[in-house]
Amino acid sequence: MISRKLQFIVAALVLAILAMGFYLVHLKRKAELIGAGPAPETLTAPINGPAQQMILYLASDADDSLRPIAVSSALPGDPGERGRLALRTLITHYLQKDSAHSLGAGADVHDVYLLDPASAVVNLNAAFAESHRSGIEVEQLTIFSMVRTLKAQLPQLTRVRFLVEGKTRDTLAGHVDLSGWLDVGLVAEASK
Amino acid sequence: MLLLLLLAVGFAAESRKITVYAPQTSYQVDILVREGLDYVGLADLLEPLGRLETHVEGKKLTLTFNGGSAEFQDGKRQYRTRSNTKPDLLSNFLLVDGRGYVSVSSIAQLLPHITDQATEFHAGPRRLFVGSTQYKFSAELRHSPSRLVLSFPAAVNPSTLIEKDQVRLLFRREPVVSSGTDTVAYRDPFLRSTVFAETPGGAEFVANLSQPATVTIGDGGHTVTIAAISSPAAAQSPVPPVAAEPHPAAPRVRPFVILDAAHGGYETGAIFSPTLMEKTINLALARRLQKELDTRGIPVVLTRIADNVLTWDQRAVSANTSHAVLYVAIHSSSSGHGVRVYTSMIPPPQPGQTNRSFLPWELAQSPFLQQSSVAASALTAECTANGLPVRSSAAPLRPLNSVTIAAVAIEVAPLGNSADELNTAEYQQKVVAAIASGIAALRGKLEGGQ
Repeated sequence: MISRKLQFIVAALVLAILAMGFYLVHLKRKAELIGAGPAPETLTAPINGPAQQMILYLASDADDSLRPIAVSSALPGDPGERGRLALRTLITHYLQKDSAHSLGAGADVHDVYLLDPASAVVNLNAAFAESHRSGIEVEQLTIFSMVRTLKAQLPQLTRVRFLVEGKTRDTLAGHVDLSGWLDVGLVAEASK
Repeated sequence: MLLLLLLAVGFAAESRKITVYAPQTSYQVDILVREGLDYVGLADLLEPLGRLETHVEGKKLTLTFNGGSAEFQDGKRQYRTRSNTKPDLLSNFLLVDGRGYVSVSSIAQLLPHITDQATEFHAGPRRLFVGSTQYKFSAELRHSPSRLVLSFPAAVNPSTLIEKDQVRLLFRREPVVSSGTDTVAYRDPFLRSTVFAETPGGAEFVANLSQPATVTIGDGGHTVTIAAISSPAAAQSPVPPVAAEPHPAAPRVRPFVILDAAHGGYETGAIFSPTLMEKTINLALARRLQKELDTRGIPVVLTRIADNVLTWDQRAVSANTSHAVLYVAIHSSSSGHGVRVYTSMIPPPQPGQTNRSFLPWELAQSPFLQQSSVAASALTAECTANGLPVRSSAAPLRPLNSVTIAAVAIEVAPLGNSADELNTAEYQQKVVAAIASGIAALRGKLEGGQ
């Protein structure tokens, strides 16, 4: 014979399980509704103010050249943010279908840090390096165009270092050396 | 006693391998003995030859090699090929720990179905030749002075053992095979007989002589000459046995240039297609350039002659200890057109800095930048003269920064839009001829500066 007390306890447990089940279904539906909505935009510092000119150095595989172009944009006051905006704008050009120097899908710059006005560290995402074409010239065009674009925004810059997901990487895609600092002056000289 | 035991164990271990010779590489594969039969791992055999993927599901192994596929079943003799036929493996297929094994006796029949290349297996010495890789040689006895000249279709570099009345040439890396007659007797005052035999892991040529001899490797490794030492004093004095590295008797010639075929092994460089990789093109260009320079009498050494991995530091050390005057790294790319020539992108030397100054490893090239620029200019000029689009610049590229002689890297791209052009003999020769002319133009210019 099961005691009345034990019957109450079992009934209470069954009710609690059912209530938790309903609550879980509710939470799942709520999560699905949130997931189906518009993707959250990348969080960036709000940029106010008039549009200013920004110089980008666009690479071309056809003639191994870097070509400066001017674009207009409201620029952030923070130099690191300004550098990141310039590099992201450059990458946007490279990700277009008809780009003269294409990058792999998903290539992006996480951050640009300035250790001092002369030293910048660019933190690339993994897709940037993993999907990059392999070859001295194609890798060099990418890196040189980024260094020269940064220099155009940050005139005091003298050296740049590239990281991938926060870590030092030997080469971009098997050729161009990313293990140390790149001298901005030597890059400009080599890419004349 | 212990040493003998260790040697015996070492020999036994060596003899339980198959040596594979393919156009792009040579390597050894371990043999697994099961129920008295010799088996070999399919992945071990195929991985160095191309792009391989295997998938195991229950007792079935599906293998995809360079786009084609084959299916094997554990314990079954038959397998299914890409053309849906069911050839016989001669003995059961084995699946051990997710790895597929086939009997050694079946590989000569199996491999052509999978690789689409002719395959020849020499069961005794356990040497497997994939594609037409075999080097058949000819031997010619010449007189005044007495000498035996062995001619090979490609460069060889045998280890040589010279004794009083015998010369032994050991071919460990080269796919040298018999040309027909393995033992030849001569009625000659210098040469009594020659014997050729394939051994596990290589081949051996023995010349039995009546007088001491020297061995010279010439024509860029295409000929090996065993010549009598004509001096009476030399003939009378006993010659102690000499175990030597390759080219022991060849006069040591200081190389002018060291060629470095970039990448190698698992470090493939750019992948142009499932069957065409940058490392392969680089090595082909380096070998072709070596041959071209040989014909111009310019001494050359290569950092690698097979599909093996070298670190940047190993390449730099090879260059710095080679006593060569010029280092040329060879790359290839499907992007762009023609040839690019690169020098190191490091700051120029400080005032007072010489090539004897102490410098960080990554700046060791600094005092040699001027000579590297001279080399780059010469190569660029010859490419232009030969109708090749060419561009020259500095690049952050290893190991250039650590090389302590004139150092350049070249990157060869096709003239058209297809990377397949990189693999054509015609285009390779056009590029190589221009580069060789540039290197030839540097003789005198660079040697004076060393």
